[in-house]
Amino acid sequence: MPLLINQKIVENDSWQLVDIEALEQLQDLSDADIQGDIIVPLAFYLEHRDQLLSRSGRLGLQVNGDDDLAALYAEQANVALIAVEFPTFRDGRGFSIARQLVRIGFAGEIRAVGDVARDRLAHMQSCGFNAFLIPEDRFSEEDLSAFAEVSVNYQGTVADPRPIFRR
Amino acid sequence: MYQYNEVDQTLVDERVEQYRDQTRRYLAGELPEDEFLVLRLMNGLYIQRYAPMLRVAIPYGLISSEQLRKLAHIARTYDKGYAHFTTRTNIQFNWPKLEEVPDILAELAQVQMHAIQTSGNCIRNTTTDPYSGVYAGELEDPRAYCEIIRQWSTLHPEFAYLPRKFKIAVTGGAEDRAASQVHDIGLHLVQNDAGEIGFEVLVGGGLGRTPVIGKKIRDFLPKEHLLTYLDAILRVYNLKGRRDNKYKARIKILVNALGADEFRRLVEEEWEYSRGGELTLTDAEIARAKSFFKPFDYDANAAADTSFEQQRASDSAFNTWYERNTVDHKVPGYRIAIVSLKPYLKPAGDITDTQMELVADLAEKYSFGEIRSTHDQNLVLADVKKSDLYAVWQALDSNNLARPNIGTLLDMIVCPGFDFCALANAKTLNIADQINERFDDLDHLYDLGDIQLNMSGCINACGHHHVADIGILGVDKKGEDWYQITLGGSSREDASLGKVLGKSVAADDVANTLEKILEVFVEQRQEEELFRDTFKRVGIDPFKENVYAVAH
Ligand code: HEM
Ligand code: SF4
Repeated sequence: MPLLINQKIVENDSWQLVDIEALEQLQDLSDADIQGDIIVPLAFYLEHRDQLLSRSGRLGLQVNGDDDLAALYAEQANVALIAVEFPTFRDGRGFSIARQLVRIGFAGEIRAVGDVARDRLAHMQSCGFNAFLIPEDRFSEEDLSAFAEVSVNYQGTVADPRPIFRR
Repeated sequence: MYQYNEVDQTLVDERVEQYRDQTRRYLAGELPEDEFLVLRLMNGLYIQRYAPMLRVAIPYGLISSEQLRKLAHIARTYDKGYAHFTTRTNIQFNWPKLEEVPDILAELAQVQMHAIQTSGNCIRNTTTDPYSGVYAGELEDPRAYCEIIRQWSTLHPEFAYLPRKFKIAVTGGAEDRAASQVHDIGLHLVQNDAGEIGFEVLVGGGLGRTPVIGKKIRDFLPKEHLLTYLDAILRVYNLKGRRDNKYKARIKILVNALGADEFRRLVEEEWEYSRGGELTLTDAEIARAKSFFKPFDYDANAAADTSFEQQRASDSAFNTWYERNTVDHKVPGYRIAIVSLKPYLKPAGDITDTQMELVADLAEKYSFGEIRSTHDQNLVLADVKKSDLYAVWQALDSNNLARPNIGTLLDMIVCPGFDFCALANAKTLNIADQINERFDDLDHLYDLGDIQLNMSGCINACGHHHVADIGILGVDKKGEDWYQITLGGSSREDASLGKVLGKSVAADDVANTLEKILEVFVEQRQEEELFRDTFKRVGIDPFKENVYAVAH
């Protein structure tokens, strides 16, 4: 799956999403079992917090709108990446989650995952996403131009939060 | 009225090109059907029974002569020579071609118009009182705030994929001609004890399958906090509104489930973060928005004219129109003139290309070049000098736009129903015709006083049947059209939902049933009482008895 960061295609993604079933098979969450930078679902993290935090690789959390967002926000300082899942493109909760993450000062990567495609990239970026994992079959090189389709905005964005009347 | 600056124009132009590319990718098979559906809805394009339907935005119902001429041109060039005004003061074209829509949008952009967010699960056109700025008793002209909301809500990146559509209405004082209490958010300009002006905030109103009157969550919101507070409401709704069932996804369901107090608590908690922040309105921004809605340069001698009284005395048809279809203006010597889009045996709200051009010309000549569209699907020339009314009336009359029926039973709100709409259960236009034929005697209607009759072709309630004195809802019974009648609803200050009269009636029987309802009204009425007041006094039972009495 192509990953866009800073409006460029990133060839080597160091992050690996570990799904809950694979995790539940494991005896031990130490580096011996899962190496490197991993993304785990928030619910799993909340259950195995201390073990996960004692690993040496970096840690990311995956959430969607059904998760306990207050718990996510309380833990944000412990993780380097938060993957916000769009279960379907119609589910707009992820936009508000990104906004709230920026607001509480989360400084890591905010990655859009799930049903992510061109016609929402610009909105996602305005709300604070800085990485986009796009399913292969929905990706084309032209998607990179999506960010510039509408060059103006009224509301302000995460990059420049001033609404038009304060600029 | 508001004039686009470079940013506004750039946004609309770029949105047209973006949509053109989306259409291209869809037709080329690069964009999945379900995704294009959402994108085209956010650009006002439905696919209906026979053809696509394009809904063009008329922000808070205000349009210039030049813009109306452009709509006439579009109706003539891309459609069948007519268009339809909706209850949310927008205009719809019923027969555009999908491939031509980008060109239509490009034409609209030339006159500062667009179809952005006229449909879809996003923040829709903000509506207001069609008499804004011209009636006495208004605290402030609400259109400045509507424009501020328009800008903030346009292509809002966070609120483009809400659980469901979201509608905001604003009123400028105590009178409500915008059905604000059946909107997702209703904002009323109010004055507090200190004499400051701000907003009373209602949330969770709406019609459709589950009609609900909005609940007040704030008595007084200082104006500078308008956008931060809206932002907080929308974020709570976006995160917590239901997404598992589209019939339960409107904010009204969330507010009912949580209770108004808990909803308010969540909003206020969210608001703590943004209150006083960047989105707080500056005095300069409020002043800038207001500068577009300044009172016109009215003729100080307008009231001195006497020709007008002579015309009233000598031409009774003109006098009748004057009494029915014009309203007091706050400036002496001026009137608000209503252009009736409720002619005999024609669909409510429809207007032809030549009628649009005529109204555009009249506005230019007699009403400072502006026209307003109303929640009841009429048009308004808001600033006509009394001495010009006769000429305006003559022109309207010769174009079938002066039927003196405003406020009467025949000033109906009617949705397109089965003839156009793919969701309909029953026809509505034929029933509207039946009612027009039966109640053809206008003098009789004047005696009955103001009565609001609204009709929808299915429970989606586009015709606002719940909030009318008399509501008619089309239902399908084994493939036949039947009609359920409700009484005693209101969309005004005393907003309330109508009560079901009883079992539904057959299509042939609608006018008969209305006659029986009106019989009871006439019998029970005290002096010049309005239907709604009689209904409040006597309740539904006498109506039930008369309508469903077994014939002896
Ligand atoms: C012909 C195509 C149309 C279709 C397919 C359509 C569809 C719908 C649907 C599905 C709803 C219910 C949404 C909900 O409750 O969440 C709705 C509501 C509404 N429609 Fe339409 N509509 C059409 C035409 C119109 C027209 C012509 C008008 C104006 C005369 C109109 C005005 C409204 C209004 C004001 C509501 C809001 C009711 C509320 O607040 O819940 N619609 N429409
Ligand atoms: S009320 Fe029903 S029939 Fe009428 S326009 Fe709306 S969806 Fe169609």
